[in-house]
Amino acid sequence: MTAVETASERAQRAARPKLLPARLRAALPRTRLLTTLTAASLFALWWLAAHYAWVNPLFLPSPKAVWDAFVRTATVGYQGSLLHEHLIASLYRVLAGYALACLVGIPLGIVMGLSRDVKAVFDPVIEFYRPLPPLALYTLIVMWLGIGDASKVAILFLAALPPLTISSMHAAASVDPRYVKAAKSLGANSRQLFRHVFLPACMPGICTGMRISLGFTYTVLVAAEIVAATAGLGWMIWDASKFLLGDIVIMGLFVLAFTGMALDFLIRLAERALTPWRFR
Amino acid sequence: MKSLRRTASLLLAAAFACGLSAGAQAQQKPEGITIGYLNLVNAQLVTKALGLHEKSGVPIKWVKFGSGGDMNRAVAANQVDFGGVGNPPFTIGATRALPYKGIFVLNMLGPVESLAVRSDKNIKSLKDLAGKTAAAPFGSTTHYLFIAALKEAGVNPTDVKLIDLSPSDAVAAWLRKDIDAAWIWEPNLDKIVKNGGEIFLTSGEMAKRGYPTWDVGVVMNDFAAKYPDQVVAYVKAECEGIDYWLKHPKETVDIIAKELSLPPEDAERMMKGTTMVPCPEQITKDYLGTPGQIGQFADTVLATATFLKDQGRLPTVMDRAGYAAFIDPSYLAKALGK
Repeated sequence: MTAVETASERAQRAARPKLLPARLRAALPRTRLLTTLTAASLFALWWLAAHYAWVNPLFLPSPKAVWDAFVRTATVGYQGSLLHEHLIASLYRVLAGYALACLVGIPLGIVMGLSRDVKAVFDPVIEFYRPLPPLALYTLIVMWLGIGDASKVAILFLAALPPLTISSMHAAASVDPRYVKAAKSLGANSRQLFRHVFLPACMPGICTGMRISLGFTYTVLVAAEIVAATAGLGWMIWDASKFLLGDIVIMGLFVLAFTGMALDFLIRLAERALTPWRFR
Repeated sequence: MKSLRRTASLLLAAAFACGLSAGAQAQQKPEGITIGYLNLVNAQLVTKALGLHEKSGVPIKWVKFGSGGDMNRAVAANQVDFGGVGNPPFTIGATRALPYKGIFVLNMLGPVESLAVRSDKNIKSLKDLAGKTAAAPFGSTTHYLFIAALKEAGVNPTDVKLIDLSPSDAVAAWLRKDIDAAWIWEPNLDKIVKNGGEIFLTSGEMAKRGYPTWDVGVVMNDFAAKYPDQVVAYVKAECEGIDYWLKHPKETVDIIAKELSLPPEDAERMMKGTTMVPCPEQITKDYLGTPGQIGQFADTVLATATFLKDQGRLPTVMDRAGYAAFIDPSYLAKALGK
């Protein structure tokens, strides 16, 4: 019996390395191939447009010019800061504003979801400023908090807060009451109830909110860095556009896009770690 | 289904291609003229107030810009037909091959642009600015002069925390005490001086030290090629405005005061800070020069370009002839009947 099992196991093990690429190959054609094709054709179009000068190089520099701008900014720097210093300045602002918003928004949202009174207090405030464009708020915030990092972090905080609070609120409000009843009937105290029932049940909704919020915060970055910054990716793009340096502008956009994708990837990893049952 | 998707993706690719080429194509607006003007004190405000351009019968749209850097962006996006820029943005535009030409002198900059410092900070020399926060609109005349003045005084420009603020934002930052110095222009300069500031250095003094700054009126190449007569009419109207400024100073004070909502005495002082060049003088060697022989302006642009390249703000510098090609006094000569 055991010998047969080991044999089949061995056969499976031997088959596995071949199976995996086959499975991958099966997944590739439809989605991955299309994705790769889109990226490749857009790049080819860009290269052709620049090569045959279909467009003024001022507006669309060649891929090589953009790559050179990347290398130059990474090694020599742009206006006193190297590329990674611009990146760190921006990431600091985004993550500081976002982390503060998480610390405030998630607990606030949960409490708002659990208590109608708390919701009645905070909901009108959030609903009032949520639809305001960040740039419109920004002029006021600069007048209040000045031109330093405080105003930049504040605007990013304000951008991050509503999606976090609203999704946490909905998550907390829509916890299945049967879970609560079941746990109570098993003798759970309120602390256990919160930790083992409420929090896990809310977590998927909160995670979705965190992901949406980070994406939205990131889109506000350039606006936040327009006034009186001296470093940061958004500032670099804005400043370069004043000097009509299209290669720096497009290079900066690529760095922004890839950084944004990396942040989204990280938050999806966190989602996996916090709510592993959803990915089983 | 498969072919449908393929068609959809092809359409998508085509849409992308169309979007790109449409963005690059110039759009003509023969039914109206858009004039971008700078928010500062010069005779263009007179031309605007007296409706001298409107006399040609073409509807005019006036668009105000905070600085030449913003104007360059609008030019790059083909959103104005006529504009005005200082010599640094003009230099940047020419080096980056923006499709425009300088066609007349808006004004020569004097104390209308000045470096103001906070009076109670005891700033006696430019060296005292080290470690302090100062503002100028980046890419403009004053940003250029600020760095030039610091270098002349032996101060490393990076020792001063120089930040990019438009003149109106600089006033807000000044009132909040976020900045201790700002090199900006009227009418906003006055608001800083009246709130605990004093003039430390003027653009006029920098001109004497070999850093002349000016604003030049520009026209888009496409527009000029399509409507050359309209360009001559435009320059003629601007010359009328300059004449009015020079011949009727009292009435001009009232116009400026009204246009900028200022008390007349402030308007009068601001007017003294800038110099209008009579149109016949503009086509001499000290300014634009003549179509065959471009004047001093080309030298200033070349010097500005060399300076900006040293600052890492320009990738390349053209030769004098390259910059002279961006100055076209022919419309002005025609307007003057020469």
